[in-house]
Amino acid sequence: MEILVNLDVVMAKRKISAGELAERVGITPANLSILKNNKAKAIRFSTLMALCDVLDCQPGDLLEFRRDGEEGRD
Amino acid sequence: MNWTKDRSIVLSQACVVLFAVLLLALDAGSYWIAKWFVQWKFYHWQNGILLIVTICIGSILAWLCLGQLWELLNEIRKGGIFIRENVRRMRIISWCCAGAAGICALSALYYLPFAFVAAAAGFMALIVRIVKNAFEQAIAMKDELDLTI
Repeated sequence: MEILVNLDVVMAKRKISAGELAERVGITPANLSILKNNKAKAIRFSTLMALCDVLDCQPGDLLEFRRDGEEGRD
Repeated sequence: MNWTKDRSIVLSQACVVLFAVLLLALDAGSYWIAKWFVQWKFYHWQNGILLIVTICIGSILAWLCLGQLWELLNEIRKGGIFIRENVRRMRIISWCCAGAAGICALSALYYLPFAFVAAAAGFMALIVRIVKNAFEQAIAMKDELDLTI
């Protein structure tokens, strides 16, 4: 089981580029890439709060819990 | 130069070189040491051969240990501290000490004071092993911290 970060989906909906999001959230593009590619081991509340603020969404829109063998969100 | 960091490492490396010189002298003089040992203790010549064998096997482990220590210090000087390569080096050093402890324990059969050297080497192996365990845990924590966004 794992927690997935659906950042690319929300970014596509909001039509925002990775560079712009990184700048507005206040993290480096490299760290945003780690988040987008589900390589992150943890996310700070402050980062999550900034992402939700910029993308105008809820934490549940960005994060998804998935059991082994389960299909992803549509 | 910052004493607490750079000079301290240079001092440690100088000590490694000093021990290497002493080890080289021990290797070169093993025959004479064994000869003196047999004459001093009135032992049979076979004990002298056993002492040379102990010195030779112990020397191989000591050279390996000193090499790993030198590389470890070089890595620390370059700033690579909590890395897997250092854990591997410490594992080798720990096993070298454990090996030396085993050889000295066997050597105590023909010369009892080697038992004290065996105990010291075994204790050193334990200390290095515990430090290695701490490094392993620190690397895991660092990895997690590096991937916390």
